[in-house]
Amino acid sequence: MRRALDALYAAAAYLAALLLIGTLMMILLGIFGRLLDFQVRGSDAYAGYLMAGSGFLALAHTLKRGEHIRVSVVSRLLEGHAHKLLELIAIGIAVLLAIVLAWFSVRLAWLSFTLHDISTGNDATPLWLPETGMALGTVIFALAMIDEFQLEVRGRRVEPKHDAEPLHIE
Amino acid sequence: AQTKWDMPTAYPPSNYHTENIAQFVADLDAATGGKLKITVHNNASLFKANEIKRAVQSNQAQIGEILISAYANEDPLFGLDSVPFLATSYADAEKLWKASRKALDEHFAKQGLKVLYAVPWPPQGIYSNKPLNTIADMKGLKMRTYNPATSRIAELAGAQPVTIQAAELAQAMATGAVNANMTSAATGYDSKAWEQVKYFYDAQAWVPKNVVFVNQKAFDALDKAQQDAVLKAAAAAESRGWKLSEEKAKWYLDQLKKNGMTVAPPSPTFTADLKKVGETMTSEWVKQAGPEGQAIVDAYKKM
Amino acid sequence: MDLVVTVTLIAGLFILLGAGVWIGLALLGVAWMAMEVFSPRSAGDAMALTIWGTTSSWTLTALPLFVWMGEILFRTRLSEDMFRGLAPWLERVPGRLLHTNIIGCTIFAAVSGSSAATCATIGKMTLPELKNRGYPEEITVGTLAGAGTLGLLIPPSIIMIVYGISANVSIAQLFIAGVLPGLLLALMFSGYIVIWALFNRGKIPIIAEHTTLLQKIHASRYLIPVVLLIALVLGSIYTGLATATEAAAFGVVGALAISGAQGSLNWQTFRDSLLGGTRLYCMIALILAGAAFLTLAMGYLGLPRRLAEWIGGLGLSKFALLAALAVFYIILGCFLDGISMVVLTMGVVLPTVQKAGIDLLWFGIFIVLVVEMAQITPPVGFNLFVLQGMTRREITWIARQAFPMFLLMIAATVIVYVFPDLVGYLPQHMRTG
Ligand code: NA
Ligand code: NA
Repeated sequence: MRRALDALYAAAAYLAALLLIGTLMMILLGIFGRLLDFQVRGSDAYAGYLMAGSGFLALAHTLKRGEHIRVSVVSRLLEGHAHKLLELIAIGIAVLLAIVLAWFSVRLAWLSFTLHDISTGNDATPLWLPETGMALGTVIFALAMIDEFQLEVRGRRVEPKHDAEPLHIE
Repeated sequence: AQTKWDMPTAYPPSNYHTENIAQFVADLDAATGGKLKITVHNNASLFKANEIKRAVQSNQAQIGEILISAYANEDPLFGLDSVPFLATSYADAEKLWKASRKALDEHFAKQGLKVLYAVPWPPQGIYSNKPLNTIADMKGLKMRTYNPATSRIAELAGAQPVTIQAAELAQAMATGAVNANMTSAATGYDSKAWEQVKYFYDAQAWVPKNVVFVNQKAFDALDKAQQDAVLKAAAAAESRGWKLSEEKAKWYLDQLKKNGMTVAPPSPTFTADLKKVGETMTSEWVKQAGPEGQAIVDAYKKM
Repeated sequence: MDLVVTVTLIAGLFILLGAGVWIGLALLGVAWMAMEVFSPRSAGDAMALTIWGTTSSWTLTALPLFVWMGEILFRTRLSEDMFRGLAPWLERVPGRLLHTNIIGCTIFAAVSGSSAATCATIGKMTLPELKNRGYPEEITVGTLAGAGTLGLLIPPSIIMIVYGISANVSIAQLFIAGVLPGLLLALMFSGYIVIWALFNRGKIPIIAEHTTLLQKIHASRYLIPVVLLIALVLGSIYTGLATATEAAAFGVVGALAISGAQGSLNWQTFRDSLLGGTRLYCMIALILAGAAFLTLAMGYLGLPRRLAEWIGGLGLSKFALLAALAVFYIILGCFLDGISMVVLTMGVVLPTVQKAGIDLLWFGIFIVLVVEMAQITPPVGFNLFVLQGMTRREITWIARQAFPMFLLMIAATVIVYVFPDLVGYLPQHMRTG
């Protein structure tokens, strides 16, 4: 289970990275299209979709790496049980919000599918397609948040060290 | 009890569409004795232009305003008023609107929406950084396109269709990344086109419309007197809006001239060339829209 | 009623943030509460629609690309070289290399239209280098937070485009009008560093010996790569090859080229920079999503609009009106991002401003200045978030270091009010010329 989850987060992150490369490619296509007289219809819209997919699919991995920022002024003042209780409350609230975000993201793509919502731009993409990236990413994020919660309950959650090696995002 | 509606629109407060809506809302407020309050969220401050239809469909907002031709990808009927050279004057545009109103009502009804009224933008012309005497002069021009219809026009006219976002159009025109654009004198005035290009050809290619529409369930929830008040205020807004648009169209052209642009109708040969593009696109549109579309075009031509 | 709602929402935000809920989710939670409790509309579908619209918007693409570019450059010798080239020139200036933050941001501001991208890209290069050389983080982080906001005042600028369209003011003239105030602000930041350095001599690392002019010029060869990169990105904009947003793509390509030429480009560094950029962008995107939803909730509640209407109804004099608006936007800026502040209030504020006889071009620069302040005021300040992500310091600590920059921005606003020519001179010159 542990390994399956970690593999899922990592796979989503690699997909997110590929989508960022895709964003770059779409923008370069737009530039060179103007220069060399060809048009990839909707390259601008595709760049936006790929960027969105990239951002959402990386959510879980970024969370697990402790790179989503939060305020820990209060929790640092607390120790022992009080500290753990506050962590449980914070992660618990985050679990609820992440589930809400995932639920309505899935609904967004689903409604777009049933309403046949189509992009108004040159790309004329059925919007449920790119919105699936958001749905998928937020679902995995909710899963990762629940994962954090159960680890914290069992006392197995490793908090990312905040003061160790600042500036080294990698 | 008081009913409160939210109304997202995409245009700034100074635009005449927005001013007309403000009047519509005030009329309704007076007619219903304050029972129906509409909060206008203009300038895309609540939802962005391309989110507004969806927002009203799902009742996140109850009433809204959209540029109907933007939704041509979804339904060819929505793109009828942007078929070039089909209806070019205000009088023709009004006929086309009347000929298509019933079908449009039906298509909106299928999506749980109700059309209240439509108000036109000034006719579309061509902005260019060089003089255009025939369609051959458009060859190699980098023309900004934003949807399949405008891309097709560029292709048929021999121009190079180019992708540029509206927000960056001014800068792109200034640096020459784009050197032609099809839009109205109004848009050119708002974006101060004279800072980037010299020529405006008032080709009167088509007369696009903004449609104000309401969520059917929200409308049905009103009592009969309020429903009547909405329809009455809508009818008044429509006739006021058409008049306003026509007056403004002249004013906008004058403003372009006043700011040093060469404003002229296209030469007779250029017009003839453009008409041919229009004929091709009309037949392509009819093919897409099927028998219903053919019937509308026929009815329009008989008017 | 409004007061109760406002107090409840602010309290809610502080509780969520204080408990340690991730910032983007905390914003989302407050927006959810605002809509479900205080407005007749339901939140869920509107939330998803708005978040999708914001995170898939084409104009945002420059942000992840510039972030990625910063990650690539971070893994090259570029920043080391840049410091080697600049150090001889700055050795007699009090504060020495601390000025690299200001210089870097001012130049990069001419490339990027966003404050967060400027802060992230320059910070990625300067912060580690300054730390290695022994400069104290208290001053490097604070000045970077302030200087990053120059991305908005020095053209191109996304916020100016938004304002220009709302107020029907020429975007080209707004761009030109921002140049002198932008340079003024950069000078003020540098001036602050000079004064700080004079009072904190012990905290600036000592250098062994001074260089001669010839040595200075010789050392400048290290600046060639960074100059080439800037020329590539700026050049692509001004020759019409790319738009301001697209130029970020050239930035990435150029950064890869530099990395390749310096021999630091391999599979490992490419993968690390790509994943690092993806994560840093993802962190910002989650906050952007929460902020977009909070803006939507505010739009439904109409709080900013009613507050602006109230100020408009006070019948204030020109100076009093501007002072009131400054306070209004500074408070709003604590909770909303700049673009939201502008679109939510312009409809109400502009008529009042016009009636008071205030020039709309000048007012645009005023708006950009207050939006700049919003980037560094807690709890919602995007430069603070970016810097928290990079330094792993508490946001409260970063906000405290940035506070002097906030005061300098207020001072700059006053100077621009007293000398309106700082805004008007270049655009007028351009009109006749
Ligand atoms: Na800038
Ligand atoms: Na702030």
